[in-house]
Amino acid sequence: MRIAARGLRLVILAAFAVFFVIPIGWLILAPTKADGALVTSSPFSFGSFHQVVLAWDHLDAFSDHIYRIWIGNSLLYSFSATAIVLATAIPAGYGLALGNFPGRRVVLTLTLVVMIMPAAALVLPIFLELNALHLIGSVLSVILPFSFFPFGVYLAYLYYATAIPRDLLDAARVDGAGEWQTFRRIALPLAKPIVALVFFFSFVADWNNFFLPYAVLADSSQYPIQVGLSNLLSSTPSFNPAQGGGGQQVNIFRPELALATLLAVIPVAIVFLLSQRALVRGMLGGAVKQ
Amino acid sequence: MSSPALTSAPVEATRPRGLHGAPVRGRRTGAGVSFILPYLPFLIGFGIAPMIYALVLAFTTSSGGWAGAGNFTRTFKDYRFLPAFEHILLYTGVWLGTLIVFVVGLALLLHGRANRVSTGFRFLFYLPGALAGAAAVLVWLFMLDPAVSPFSFLEHNVFGVQLFVQSIAPGKLPFVFAMIAFWTGAGGWIVVMYGALNTIPHELDEAARIDGAGPFTIAFRLKLPLIRKWIAYMLILSFATGTQLFIEPQLVNEASLGLVPDTWSSNQLAYQLAFRYGDFNAAAAITVDLLVIGLLAAVLIVTRTGLFRREG
Amino acid sequence: MALRAFRGSALLWPLSRRLRQIMLTSLAAVGLAVSAGACTSSSSTSSAPASSASGKVGGSLTVWVDSVRLPVAQAYAKAHPNVHVRIVTFDGDGNGATTMQTKIQLWNRTGSGWPDVIFSEQVNDPVWMAKPPFNFAAPIKGLIPQSILSQWPSPSTTQCTINGTQYCLQDNLAQVVLWYNKKLMTQFGYTVPTTWQQWAAIGQKVATQHPGYIIGTSGESFSHWIYFWGNQCPLEKLQGSQLLINTSDTHCTEMASLLTPLIKNGTVPPLSVFTPDFAKKYGGANDKVLMMPGPSWYAQAVFQATLHIPAGQITAAMPLQWKNETPVTTGQVGGGPWIISRHSKNLATAADFVQWATTVFNPPGANARPGYPAYEPLANTWLKALSANPYFAADPTPAMKAAASLIWSGWNLVTYPDQPVWSNTVVTQLVAGKSLSSLMPAFGHALSQAAQAAGYQVSQ
Repeated sequence: MRIAARGLRLVILAAFAVFFVIPIGWLILAPTKADGALVTSSPFSFGSFHQVVLAWDHLDAFSDHIYRIWIGNSLLYSFSATAIVLATAIPAGYGLALGNFPGRRVVLTLTLVVMIMPAAALVLPIFLELNALHLIGSVLSVILPFSFFPFGVYLAYLYYATAIPRDLLDAARVDGAGEWQTFRRIALPLAKPIVALVFFFSFVADWNNFFLPYAVLADSSQYPIQVGLSNLLSSTPSFNPAQGGGGQQVNIFRPELALATLLAVIPVAIVFLLSQRALVRGMLGGAVKQ
Repeated sequence: MSSPALTSAPVEATRPRGLHGAPVRGRRTGAGVSFILPYLPFLIGFGIAPMIYALVLAFTTSSGGWAGAGNFTRTFKDYRFLPAFEHILLYTGVWLGTLIVFVVGLALLLHGRANRVSTGFRFLFYLPGALAGAAAVLVWLFMLDPAVSPFSFLEHNVFGVQLFVQSIAPGKLPFVFAMIAFWTGAGGWIVVMYGALNTIPHELDEAARIDGAGPFTIAFRLKLPLIRKWIAYMLILSFATGTQLFIEPQLVNEASLGLVPDTWSSNQLAYQLAFRYGDFNAAAAITVDLLVIGLLAAVLIVTRTGLFRREG
Repeated sequence: MALRAFRGSALLWPLSRRLRQIMLTSLAAVGLAVSAGACTSSSSTSSAPASSASGKVGGSLTVWVDSVRLPVAQAYAKAHPNVHVRIVTFDGDGNGATTMQTKIQLWNRTGSGWPDVIFSEQVNDPVWMAKPPFNFAAPIKGLIPQSILSQWPSPSTTQCTINGTQYCLQDNLAQVVLWYNKKLMTQFGYTVPTTWQQWAAIGQKVATQHPGYIIGTSGESFSHWIYFWGNQCPLEKLQGSQLLINTSDTHCTEMASLLTPLIKNGTVPPLSVFTPDFAKKYGGANDKVLMMPGPSWYAQAVFQATLHIPAGQITAAMPLQWKNETPVTTGQVGGGPWIISRHSKNLATAADFVQWATTVFNPPGANARPGYPAYEPLANTWLKALSANPYFAADPTPAMKAAASLIWSGWNLVTYPDQPVWSNTVVTQLVAGKSLSSLMPAFGHALSQAAQAAGYQVSQ
């Protein structure tokens, strides 16, 4: 009976693993085949590296190398915004956790409330705000909203509330150290895990954000890669063959789209991998047992 | 906008405890307001102000006068309003269902015998999380096309789908979108549930096993009730994002040559109202509708699961 | 998004600290390099000064085109090295998309960013572009000489004229003709039909004698333009300030009854020629397209480039007649307009571009422009090349030429796209197996809703 139960468990887990992994496997193999071969040959056959190079050439040639620009934009937005998030959220979390000033609980509550609210709901008012500030059309219209990351503040708050050893705090109080001195002496040395954690979440959130850039950016050369992918989808024959012809000259078909998707995912995957240790250690306030 | 019980309670429930379990309050260093000063402009500018602005827009006219419920009734009467809300409520219902059944179920299965195999599976479930938004939809556009999909056998024989247009038939869309959302999001939530399960003391497990309880009983009668809080959090957060669905139907609209309308979800309708008709007041009304629904659901879930009740 | 939070995996990847540092710094360096490169390339302008409306051709020009018009823009840039042409490819507002509406609203709101020239696949785009709140389109009259403008057929000019002013130039005419496979028709012993009734009769025969072959499609986003526009069904008829949408008119119901059994027996499937599924099933070696009512631009773009029908088979016949009613009317599928922005700082070059694209651009051979040029002198050259094209079984140009003047004028252009209504209300249900006749009332109702949302007063 135990063995049957164990076997059943494995079967179920394996079935789900197949569901989760197969599309990724397909995605990795798709650029190695030409468009026709995608249909006729097995989904898991390997085509050729040469085909991948061809697919990249087509993708790169689209609209004057705009794909590279899109990736560059995503990197710019994500890194800049995350840098600002780190600079603002870490001290804020520290202040909220250990501070003692009027309005502390208000700020914390507001942060939580805004955190629970999905960002998409705020995009339209943010657009109007940015327009009033004449920021529409500049990269700041994306970077500044991205730099608001209440979840990062909340994480830092949780972290600092639990991570500071009592003796260090007492020592600082006895020494009569000032606020920022205490911060530098106590909080900064301990900051590495929380910095990695907040960096990870902020970067990934910024990289994957679609609705805000879609709404506020009118110039396609400012798109981040997520919006760029949708532009690619709608401008190319694979899924939107135009009236008046197949738009064959554009040369973006399914292998190129698959390659575009794959390349768009790689930076996030790298950040995922780099942040593993910090995530494990920092997760759930120590609730995850090794 | 939200009840005090709801906003202060999470603070209560997660009141930070120091290393020795003592509340932090007595240990404050006197760090001042200067620490939150760099963060405040962002909180106000991109958090609080837009929230208030959205409310203001929803209750005023385009010239700034008071509109009362005018925007709400106007959008309600729009012929695309009800279908859009039907779509997202059905989609959210299906998605939450899959979260409750499969995420919790898989986490319990993984936790049953925590070992390297389970670790390996957790990683595999987690992989699709790297593809979010547009990338995930693009992948699934291929998966839903029986001509190229590795799942074509299933599609032909189990679902009776021969062509891409059949995959995205209107009746199927909420389930298709829920599946995509599940594919990208389940892994992360499984890890959370797994971590939550890890907080259950081993002794309880042992005691139950000694008492003769089988794996099912342990899972459903012991572990499941103890992670109720985390399940509730998952549902509340997922409900809010579910109703805000935008990118999946938007991309399918483009890929289907218009077969799926560009106002399929309420958020898409809000976007069209704002950016095609320039009617930000109507769009804000829809946004407020969605927020209210999210809050109602949160209240419902909190009361049904006794989320903020103190453990005895 | 905070919601993608709580991620973590217990799997430890033992990347050394040093390796992680290297990866992070190189990522940052790449990011900075690419974005720096992006900044310089997108802002470069030629040193020639921007010209005014009556100025000379030069300076910089921003053009938004769909993927099919990309070669035109590229060719212009090549032929005019003194103009710095920035080309942006977008969806062309295809299939009833509202991309341009959202973009123009955005540009209007911020007060900058408008391109100089836009190509749209939607014939009705200029209608709302010329009106408030968009106010985007520039009147053509002062920009292009009247001697040139007068050589567009008058229906084409009429379509571009809103409230008495011409706001666009049509790139090509898109009259619907009857495309057929001469080789297969002869092989099966069918006569080329001249009426819809004969066409339907062949469809019934084909279903039993040669199952798998088709005589048309009903799954395009514009199928209603082929079958209903051509048959004078009033679905978009402006009568003063009212818009007439009446699906119970006999012209509509009779066509729907004609099509319903054909859709059911599979000879007019609810598919689109532009889906890979269609090409796989009916194109290429399968060669199952027996007949297909469709626009003139199907010629090489669809049959040769998309479906890969073998050479020497396809040709065109006159549009079908309804019983023996005269005059014979036909529908129109596109004929994309070029629009110049009234905010353009380089109107002279913009006008030069549009003029060149519609009157000069005419590459030979495989890269030929897909559409029947609206500009008559160029049309003659294009038709001559097409009739000499060995791809076709017979000369398709007489039919195309004759059909150009047969487009029914009772279908007016409106500010809202009707293609999505057809796709959502009808095509999805046809795929599910419902009959077309039963869907017509719902179709009419949905059209009315779309019209009213766009501010029209609808009459039945």
